[in-house]
Amino acid sequence: MNRRDALKLMGNGFGLLGLGATAHASKQTHHAAKAKRVIFLFLNGGMSQVDTFDPKPALEKWHGQPMPGPKIKTDRASGELMKSPFQFHPRGKSGLMVSEIFPKTGALIDDICVIRSMYSDNGNHGPSLLMMNTGHGLPGRPSLGSWLTYGLGTENRNLPGFVALCPGFPVLGPQLWDSGFLPKIHQGTYLNNGEQEPDKIIRNIRNARLSPADQERQLTLLDKLNHSYLEDLGPQPELESNIAAMEVAFRMQTEAPEIFDITKEPEAVRARYGTHDFGRGCLMALRLAERGVRMVQVYYGNFQPWDSHDDIRIHSKLAATADGPIAALIEDLKSRGMFEDTLLIIGSEFGRTPMIQNSGLERVGNGRDHNVHGFTTLLAGGGVKGGIAYGATDEFGFKAAEKRCHVHDLHATVMHLMGFDHTRLTYRYSGRDFRLTDVHGNVVNEILA
Amino acid sequence: MHFSLFVAAVLLANDAEFFETSVRPVLAKNCSACHNATRLGGLAITSRESLLKGGNTGPAIVPGDPEKSLLMQAVTHTHARLRMPPTAKLAAPEIDALSRWVRAGAPWPVSAPPASTDHAFWSFQPVSKPGIPEAADARWAGSAIDRLLHAKHRSEKVTPVRRAAKHVLIRRATMDVTGLPPTPEEVKAFEDDPSPGAFAKVVDRLLASPRYGERWGRYWLDMARYADGALGASSDTPFANAYRYRDWVIQSLNEDLPYDTFVKAQIAADRLPGSKHLAALGFQALGGNAGDQLDVTTRTFLGLTVACAQCHDHKYDPIPTSDYYSLLGIFRSSPKHEFPLAPEDTVKAYKAHQQKIEDAKFELDFFVKTRSAELSEFLAAKTARYLRAAKLVLEQGKSVDEAARQAALDPEVLGRWVAYLPQKDKDHDFLDLKGGIDEFQSFVTDLFRRRRDMEERNYVKLGGIKGIRDERTRQYTNLESLPIIEYYLWRDLASDPYRKDFFDFKGGIYYYGEKDIDRWLSPEWKDHLDRLRADLKSLKDSLPAQYPFIHTLREAEAPKNARIAIRGDEQNLGEEAPRRFLRALSKGEPAPYTSGSGRLELAEAIASADNPLTARVVVNRLWLGHFGYGLVRSPSNFGRLGERPTHPELLDYLAWRLVDSGWSLKGLHREMMLSEAYALASDLDQANYAKDPENKLLWRANIVQRLDAEALRDSMLAVSGTLDVSAGGPPKPFEDGFRRRAVYGYIGRTKPDPMLTLFDFPNPNNTSELRTVTTGPLQRLFFMNNSFVAEQAAALAARLNSQNVSAEDRIETAYRLLFSRPPKPAEVQLGLDFLNKTGSWPQYAQVLLSSTEFSSIP
Repeated sequence: MNRRDALKLMGNGFGLLGLGATAHASKQTHHAAKAKRVIFLFLNGGMSQVDTFDPKPALEKWHGQPMPGPKIKTDRASGELMKSPFQFHPRGKSGLMVSEIFPKTGALIDDICVIRSMYSDNGNHGPSLLMMNTGHGLPGRPSLGSWLTYGLGTENRNLPGFVALCPGFPVLGPQLWDSGFLPKIHQGTYLNNGEQEPDKIIRNIRNARLSPADQERQLTLLDKLNHSYLEDLGPQPELESNIAAMEVAFRMQTEAPEIFDITKEPEAVRARYGTHDFGRGCLMALRLAERGVRMVQVYYGNFQPWDSHDDIRIHSKLAATADGPIAALIEDLKSRGMFEDTLLIIGSEFGRTPMIQNSGLERVGNGRDHNVHGFTTLLAGGGVKGGIAYGATDEFGFKAAEKRCHVHDLHATVMHLMGFDHTRLTYRYSGRDFRLTDVHGNVVNEILA
Repeated sequence: MHFSLFVAAVLLANDAEFFETSVRPVLAKNCSACHNATRLGGLAITSRESLLKGGNTGPAIVPGDPEKSLLMQAVTHTHARLRMPPTAKLAAPEIDALSRWVRAGAPWPVSAPPASTDHAFWSFQPVSKPGIPEAADARWAGSAIDRLLHAKHRSEKVTPVRRAAKHVLIRRATMDVTGLPPTPEEVKAFEDDPSPGAFAKVVDRLLASPRYGERWGRYWLDMARYADGALGASSDTPFANAYRYRDWVIQSLNEDLPYDTFVKAQIAADRLPGSKHLAALGFQALGGNAGDQLDVTTRTFLGLTVACAQCHDHKYDPIPTSDYYSLLGIFRSSPKHEFPLAPEDTVKAYKAHQQKIEDAKFELDFFVKTRSAELSEFLAAKTARYLRAAKLVLEQGKSVDEAARQAALDPEVLGRWVAYLPQKDKDHDFLDLKGGIDEFQSFVTDLFRRRRDMEERNYVKLGGIKGIRDERTRQYTNLESLPIIEYYLWRDLASDPYRKDFFDFKGGIYYYGEKDIDRWLSPEWKDHLDRLRADLKSLKDSLPAQYPFIHTLREAEAPKNARIAIRGDEQNLGEEAPRRFLRALSKGEPAPYTSGSGRLELAEAIASADNPLTARVVVNRLWLGHFGYGLVRSPSNFGRLGERPTHPELLDYLAWRLVDSGWSLKGLHREMMLSEAYALASDLDQANYAKDPENKLLWRANIVQRLDAEALRDSMLAVSGTLDVSAGGPPKPFEDGFRRRAVYGYIGRTKPDPMLTLFDFPNPNNTSELRTVTTGPLQRLFFMNNSFVAEQAAALAARLNSQNVSAEDRIETAYRLLFSRPPKPAEVQLGLDFLNKTGSWPQYAQVLLSSTEFSSIP
């Protein structure tokens, strides 16, 4: 059997067996891609739009009064409208208004596209996290990163194509980077960047007992035994990917710990990311992206730190640890020549209500509830216009009103930037073709550079 | 009218194009979700005829006259009552297109009939025993399976390869049935048995082994999305009694419970005579809501994606939306129920005891909270004196104790003030003391009074203690709160410690709680508090472990039909769907169910010999398990979007055989495994490969590329001699020292065991029809570096070294244990060379455990 036959075999429904080998090859896109990789900074818990990137002067006027108009259901009892405790200022040449709690990100607003008209389907964290990550409100579908590595493969054979970083776990944990019914090689490799030591970040990356020389002797023997076995069997392409993987694993032991050792970055670089887990995660994301990892997702923190039900002023403490790393990441992507072909996504599973939340579950009575009807997501880099605001929420920042952009539309746009027609990147499972956007989604052409 | 009929009859090409591009999409997108076979308002918009026939309000169109057409009046909002679509008015161009179309006579090009009326699809046809072809070849004459397969080999002109070697065959069979490798003794006995029935003996022995249910039960659990915890919880919520379902599945398979009973029990065990199979309802009760139960039930037993019809008629299969809601009503009328495995008195006593603990806890908290609030008001009244004393400390260097003694103040409270005042990141600026200390004192006193009044009003709003204790009431009650800046001051003075939303507050200056309030209480109060504490402790100490129970369903007191949610929107409900079976699987219009929820009737309809899907679906799953692929390669979708069977006659033969044998699964396993096809080698024959690269014709065996997670783990334990084969019972976490079979390990919902996940253990939140197989560097890192592998390697090395024999013989033992064969001389030599260099048997054993041969089956 020649090589073409082997490829034919893999492409012909022995798919599950052959993918181990083929996932690593770079693949064809539907059209020329604008971005080669994605870094998704996930501010888990729900960043409030009206306190960050979607200023609403009407809230000043209506502060303390009920929101006029028909009552739209929110998760819990919501009270009167509440103005933002933070000041907004025009930033950059574009003059887009940005909250004072994001000063450094604001300085780079001309590089950022602010989608102010996002909306989703379900006001609970779980379904909304799943929607933002997998395009479906119930568990079991492949995540965005899985679709991307399925469609594109990875550029570095020594590393996984999709990495999810979180100090601890976001709500729902591994379901958010699961490959669903796609082959498991496309599952996000979860690494706990709350750990400081590279060995603790990647499981099994080092051997506690054996020296590299011992290990090399073992692998040499293993290689010979495997070849002896395969020779007896005759051509069995399904079994060969296993052997290729062994070689990658051996190389990973030397390359991977180095990537996660951020002390390898100059002190001046590290200082700009700070010592908070999120900053360290952003710096690791940069280093992974540099080495060809297709998608890196950085969760802000364990559980859902941005869930400011109690007191929206906590957002300033959160932003204080997020703002610097976001700006540093944009600057470093630029200085390392990667900004043009890296798509940066910054956002949450949903936003927050412009009304105060004062249900009896809360003690401070200065917070905001979940809001899926309108929220803000930021895009920057590969193929996206900077310094623009796309769409708008209503007068109070509650509901997406102009140029509404569902999460499916965001996904369709990300797919487009990565070179895919989202309706055509499909996978047949359980007898039907599935795709990230299910039967929905329109590319938001207006924000494309 | 004549004109329009004429147009309809003689449709011009551009009319058809106009209809397809501008009219059909508008109707499909906006109307057909409700006006389909489900006929909301009596109207279907599925053909020109259906529009002319119209709905409850009369014909929907008058061809040629848009103004007189109800359809147009509804979409233009000119009708007095009808406004369609209900969600939002159509865009002007859409209305214009409809209007032009009606004016042109509403021509509707003839196309294929919609799928929903198509009952002729193969899988909906009754199962019939096919004719079994005569054998053309003695090798393929032994069984109906072989004759059916070989007829196709011959007609498609492929030549099956040789039989597999005996050691390969017994390893394949043992791994298939038990998930463990055969022992060297078992291999030898088979190799030494020349009788024609030698393999049948092996198969019978394997199927009688309790290991069979552990292996095949686990695959069933994949479909049942089984885990030892609550589905959909954001963190793992363990169910201590979930394992009873797992054990029921394993035991039922081991006892060869007839498959129809196996099915019925998992849908309606509570309605079957006796309580023997109650645990079977874990299939439903360990899952999610009624929608999830419906989805998993129909996919698992029927191979149908009924849940696709939740928002619209199934796009491909004959399942109208109303059928979805017919089934949904059944599941909604069947709430989850914890069936106690303890006397009623025990259950009552346990619940009463739990309630007492809650009450005692509440009483203690309430008492402390009240005293704490009183104390903080009492201290707040001395704020001016505390501030002056604090200034003496901060500005004149007096000690805290000295300043407190002089002013007759509490030193601890003063210490808190002294620590607090210099802090720079206060959330308010009241302590700039712009109006002086005394004015601040009155402000604080007033603030505390206002706060107390407000809390009293909130108490009333919540409906008193009952409301405070109910989370739902608290969630949905609008409460008053202080203006935020004043709140911050109050918090810093008097709040209890809390952590919330990423914020960690250590407690206010005047706050004393359960831990430290004692010294402020009068002797009477102190006695009371001690008594409350003692009561709570003794109640907690005397709470027995919760009585065991089974996760089941029960019948609702008042079963009722579900209403159709229009386009799946539960806020927009349409007509009721009677509780009854799927139309596509019924003869004529199905009769409404009358017995309770209808679950028993549903179970009987599914587990019926007349049901064309049930037997076909399960025999296909068995085939998949033994041959690597199903005869239908989409095991949970036998609908139009699923795959077509590669061997329809064989599938029907097996389905017929299952029913004919009294639904015995073990009988089917046996028949499949004793076929010539099962014994094929996996040689890749070039000529066959050119014709059939996917091996759909089964001219060779499909290789097991990598054992699944559980077989891999359990086999490592087995060959190193550390496997504990005790069966059943509560799950144990996968950690050091857990050496039972993987099926008995704790399966979490949110954080599955990393080793299982690494080797493609399915996500337990979903029904899973087959295992994917991936390989990758992280798996190889596991073999290279994980301590579990190192431990098994050490155990295997110790096992080999326990025999006082030569190194060559030990190597041979290793090969027979791991690979069911003796080593080749070159392999022995490689081993000896390695051992000479390293002197390490554990390192050698680790290489063997990591080898491709150990984790694959040719």
